Amino acid sequence: MLAMVAVMLSVATILITWSVMGGFLNALIDSGRTLVGDVAIVWPNVGFAHYDDLIERLEEDPMIEAATPTIETFGLIKLPDDRIELISIKGISAESYSQVTGFADTMWWKAIDEPTPKDYKREDIRLDPQYQQIFEDMESNGISMTRPHPKTGAIEPAGVIGIEVTGLNQRQDWGGYYPMPPMRALPDGGAERVDVFMPREGTVGITILALDSEGHPIDPVTQTIPIANEFQSGLYEVDQGTIFVPLDIIQRMLRLDEAKRVEIVKDDENPFAVEVDPVTGEIGPKMKEIIGIDPARVTTVLVSGVEGSELEPVRARIREIYAQFALDHAGEVPSSFQMENQIRTWEDLNKTMISAVKKETGLVLFIFGIVSFTTVFLVLAIFWSMATEKTKDIGVLRALGATTPGIAWLWIRYGAVIGIVGSVIGTAVGYWIVSDINAIHDWMGRTFNFVIWDPKQYYFIEIPSDVDPMKAAIVFIVGVMTCVIGAAIPAIHSARMDPVKALRFE
Amino acid sequence: MVAQTNNSTNGPTDGNDLKISVRSVRKTYRLGRVRVPVLHGVDLDVKSGEWVTILGASGSGKSTLLHLMGGLDRPDKDSSNPPSVKFENRDLTKQSKRALDRYRADDIGFVFQFYHLLPELSVLQNVTIGSMIKHGRLGYRNHRAEAVERAESLLERFGLSHRLKHRPAELSGGERQRVAIARALINEPSLLLADEPTGNLDLKTGESILEAIIEHRQSAGLTLVMVTHDERIAERADRVIRLVDGLVVEENGTIS
Repeated sequence: MLAMVAVMLSVATILITWSVMGGFLNALIDSGRTLVGDVAIVWPNVGFAHYDDLIERLEEDPMIEAATPTIETFGLIKLPDDRIELISIKGISAESYSQVTGFADTMWWKAIDEPTPKDYKREDIRLDPQYQQIFEDMESNGISMTRPHPKTGAIEPAGVIGIEVTGLNQRQDWGGYYPMPPMRALPDGGAERVDVFMPREGTVGITILALDSEGHPIDPVTQTIPIANEFQSGLYEVDQGTIFVPLDIIQRMLRLDEAKRVEIVKDDENPFAVEVDPVTGEIGPKMKEIIGIDPARVTTVLVSGVEGSELEPVRARIREIYAQFALDHAGEVPSSFQMENQIRTWEDLNKTMISAVKKETGLVLFIFGIVSFTTVFLVLAIFWSMATEKTKDIGVLRALGATTPGIAWLWIRYGAVIGIVGSVIGTAVGYWIVSDINAIHDWMGRTFNFVIWDPKQYYFIEIPSDVDPMKAAIVFIVGVMTCVIGAAIPAIHSARMDPVKALRFE
Repeated sequence: MVAQTNNSTNGPTDGNDLKISVRSVRKTYRLGRVRVPVLHGVDLDVKSGEWVTILGASGSGKSTLLHLMGGLDRPDKDSSNPPSVKFENRDLTKQSKRALDRYRADDIGFVFQFYHLLPELSVLQNVTIGSMIKHGRLGYRNHRAEAVERAESLLERFGLSHRLKHRPAELSGGERQRVAIARALINEPSLLLADEPTGNLDLKTGESILEAIIEHRQSAGLTLVMVTHDERIAERADRVIRLVDGLVVEENGTIS
């Protein structure tokens, strides 16, 4: 019975740990994927031209669902309370970006019908019917990245900022936010309240370094960006350090927009023609101006494959399409060879985060595995004690003709039965706990004021509650094997026991 | 070397009707670093159908001799005078462990002083377990009905038909010993080795147990080797052997 309880507890513990940690990993990965799409074609800093042509070629392919141009850079952001922070700036084309990513779904300020999972008291202001129209407008503003000017009402391009960037959204224990007015620090040591709600009248200033055509920084450029909405991707690192800005604004600021190009070259029509420099008076070869267009550039094109497509085939197809694109624009865009390692899947882009969480999951599992491995010794100790207690019975069985393997098999079979029953109960208990883990957790909070997973502090509102049948099967088998291994040593000891000594055992 | 006593040795020497024959058997136990010799070279023949009682003081080696005859233990090796324990001319000292297991399951029955019933099993299961061991768990399925029938018949004969589903803890000492005898007889052995079967029982119960064994022995032609302290039981045996200091002494005092 004791052994069975030990097995049951070990199996349940490992299943719960594995399922919850695995669930967090999946949730994190899904969040990481939300704003990335499937595959990214990246040429940082200077970017690459003719991206419209590339996107057109990509979208013509049956494997590709959509593609969108983006620019990724870093800059400084000045917040309503005058704080200045470092920020990741993403220039996007709102409409196409929503087709490739889950951008539209990440808008936080929107009207909702159902409360978030922990909001039992319906405290979320987004539920308030009184503000429904306002929140609907905010959502559509965020998706289109435009906002009416607070005074004139004129529609102007706007940005969407991560929900955690400003620090003005106070996270609640039910997992949502209350917007708080910022307080601006004054030089005399005082502070003044700035009455602003970001999606209505909030603005931020962003400062970035403009680049020349070679990608070298030239001058810092600053622009005020109205905020249309705030987004929550599910990745804290993204939500506390990212702002989305209309692509054309960033292109202009970075000087990656379409520009007139002026080149002064020798006059090919008459190579011997000369002219006098009006400033220096020197005679030199006759020059002429060629006026052309430098096409706009972006640093990244994000691509999504059609529903259900595998990542690698999509990437391979994108490489093929890019190779042809590079040939057709030779000398103007990076070659396919240069782009070999720059066409990355979303997994590649989130590799650091994914591997960190995987390692953490593995470490926790390893520790629990070690703890649970003690079950082997517990079963061993219990079986050893039972075998000692049954020494005389073993002697009797030997006297009746029982063979050595027969005696060993008796104990191993007994261990297997304990393992199977313990593992079945443990798996069932683990499954039940994981499935109802949020309800159990809430009950613990209500009854004992014991909250392990506080949404105020942790980014995921709910604890993952899915049990992978494959994981359950592995844990079950390991549970049974644990008992069989634990029983095997006492079994061998019993089987090898001298029957005469066993019969005389006191 | 077998001493001649009243036209016989420690049993018949001529016949092919020997059930078990023990020659030059020595046995020494180790208690830590101390060697304790128990048998000093025992010779003993038991005829088929014979009842031999072994008498002796505590520690004289009676049970050890019984274990050697039952293939539970092996005698000390001695290249100059090799020991042998022959059952129907089959030398047990040269048998493999597996063969000895088969020997104990098929050919002999053991009865112990302290019954040694398995406490978790019912009376009927305690008896049929011998058949299960003999046939193996899978083979037992084909012999189960037959084994249960025989167990019920034996238990009925021993007056325990109303106790089939009881556990050993619910039985008296005499009843437990009768269950143990039924267990020893379930596979119809030709040799019954009984180690003080009445030693733990009162006089009356001991007598009834003895009667049960004698009755079965006569009806089944069983060979019986019984270890006892009880002189009155010994008197009823065909032949009495006395073990003194690890040597067999016939009733007339001749030492083999």
